[in-house]
Amino acid sequence: MSSPTASAVLSAIEARWHPRRVIADTQPWATMRFLAGNAWRGVVWFVVVVVLVALGFGFATSVVLLPVALVAVRLWRLAARTERRRVGAFAGAAIPAPYRPRPPGGWIARAAGMATDPATWRDLAFLLVGLPLGIAELVVAAVALFTPLSFVLTPVAYANTGHGVGLAYPVGSWFGALVVALLAPVAAVASAYVLAGAARGHVLAAAWLLGPRKGDQLEERVDVLTRTRSGAMEAMLAERRRIERDLHDGAQQRLVALAMDLGMAKEKLDRDPVAARALIDTSHEEAKRVLADLRDLVRGIHPAVLTDRGLDAAVAAVAGRCPVPVTVDIRVPERLPEAVEVTAYFVVVEALTNVAKHAAGGATDAAVRIAKNRDTLIVEVVDDGPGGADPRRGTGLAGLADRVAALDGRLAVQSPPGGPTRVRAEIPIR
Amino acid sequence: MRVVIAEDAVLLREGIIRLLADAGEQIIAAVGTGPDLVAAIVAHRPDVAIVDIRMPPGFRDEGLRAAIEARRRVPGTPVLVLSQYIEERYAGELLETGAEGIGYLLKDRVADVADFVAAVRRVAGGGTVLDPEVVTQLVARRRRGDRLDALTPREREVLGLMAEGHANAAIAERLFVGDGTVEKHVSAIFAKLGLGEDETGHRRVLAVLAYLRG
Repeated sequence: MSSPTASAVLSAIEARWHPRRVIADTQPWATMRFLAGNAWRGVVWFVVVVVLVALGFGFATSVVLLPVALVAVRLWRLAARTERRRVGAFAGAAIPAPYRPRPPGGWIARAAGMATDPATWRDLAFLLVGLPLGIAELVVAAVALFTPLSFVLTPVAYANTGHGVGLAYPVGSWFGALVVALLAPVAAVASAYVLAGAARGHVLAAAWLLGPRKGDQLEERVDVLTRTRSGAMEAMLAERRRIERDLHDGAQQRLVALAMDLGMAKEKLDRDPVAARALIDTSHEEAKRVLADLRDLVRGIHPAVLTDRGLDAAVAAVAGRCPVPVTVDIRVPERLPEAVEVTAYFVVVEALTNVAKHAAGGATDAAVRIAKNRDTLIVEVVDDGPGGADPRRGTGLAGLADRVAALDGRLAVQSPPGGPTRVRAEIPIR
Repeated sequence: MRVVIAEDAVLLREGIIRLLADAGEQIIAAVGTGPDLVAAIVAHRPDVAIVDIRMPPGFRDEGLRAAIEARRRVPGTPVLVLSQYIEERYAGELLETGAEGIGYLLKDRVADVADFVAAVRRVAGGGTVLDPEVVTQLVARRRRGDRLDALTPREREVLGLMAEGHANAAIAERLFVGDGTVEKHVSAIFAKLGLGEDETGHRRVLAVLAYLRG
């Protein structure tokens, strides 16, 4: 999930404004339009921001301050997004969004996440700087446009007024006027560079303020890694506890009972062969149940068929064991890295376990869809049960989220009361 | 009946040998790896080979691969594959080598001695024996609006027993009903699934499986 850095924008800028290409630029008008656009947009955004700030002060003592501030932040982030897109399109290289991933939780957590994200405030800075920057660019563009024109017209101006216009104002002779007129192409070339420089400056400013920062990215990456590492650790420990509990409550107890029954059968063999036979019968049944228990447990730790034959076969088998009919649709022709396959598999297992457990009597069918979307594996399990699953309460789903996060993936659980429940995991493939 | 056994777990291998010897069968070779199995089958031409799917060195599906390889080298060798887990996929791969004399059972089934010996003999005789779990998985995998939905629970039970390779009489005995009742169920199943009814024996199993895997 390596997000492109600002360097992509910078190299696009280098390529576009390479000295030789500036002269060959067949679209000076596009550059002009860009600069003019920067100016009027600078004005608009400045006004919008000022109005938003004024509103904020207006509601400063009111309970609605928070919602108003939230709307304001969203608005300016939206504005920044349109600028990011527009400047990126002009520069020929998208400026990646620098925001931190949206934190889990309700709107308060999201608002806090936005407010503490430095990128939010850099967005604001860009919108404010846009006004002086845009106006300066407009002036530069006007001068750059007017100067070659004025050079061409200098002889005419001299004939009428006795001096030149614009930069050529000091011209005081016919000779001078003609020289200036002949210099017009040179002025045009210089103008092209000036225009290009102004545009380049704007793109750089945008990339700097609107794009991601290397330091931020690293810092954020460290945060995420720290969080997911401890999450993965916890998930692993929880898993070990579960296995211990399952062995203790299941196979171990059953084997004790089995040994006991067999011991009794041995005692009775001579005195009461009929009772002994009955005990051996129960022991036999019990032994088979222990086997089934252990088989389920071992499969829960790691399914052999997943390693041998991949997701398709493994998920089909899980779906086959679910008491609710499951439609399986897997469109992943190739084998994926083991960690990705195993995680995707357990997403399906956990989701279907919940379908079987909580939706008993409610769900009548479920669907598993697994597909690859570029470098991401999308796993989706939907059931028509009564809903109301809460990933924060069920340890299974929480552990699952940790497992997915450990691979830089995301797990979303939608389960409104009344259903349907939709568990969706996005796991980067690498 | 001359039997080759491929099983790396000594306890289970000795157990199966004891169990089959008890039933009067002759164990001509007991091996612990895939290549040894292929060699033993080529050398001895047994009446049936009993093969564990997971064997050294990789402990993955060496047994299955060896069984497929052995059937390629000595066509028609009956093979009964045992596995800790039933995976419909493995059953499919086995059946692709031809369905005559193919068995695929959960290891646990060894515990029901009489049933297990009967299954070994059915496979040796060219029959097809599939674990009930294979059918469960295949049935569960069906798509919505499938013709399988039209089957009654009883018919599904009969379908499962058919896939296990049981003849009508054996099915009747297991379900505690008369032969006529089973025949009625079978024709109902074939009619509902749109299959030709004249198939018998392993061909019948195949018809059902082909439909389920479709």
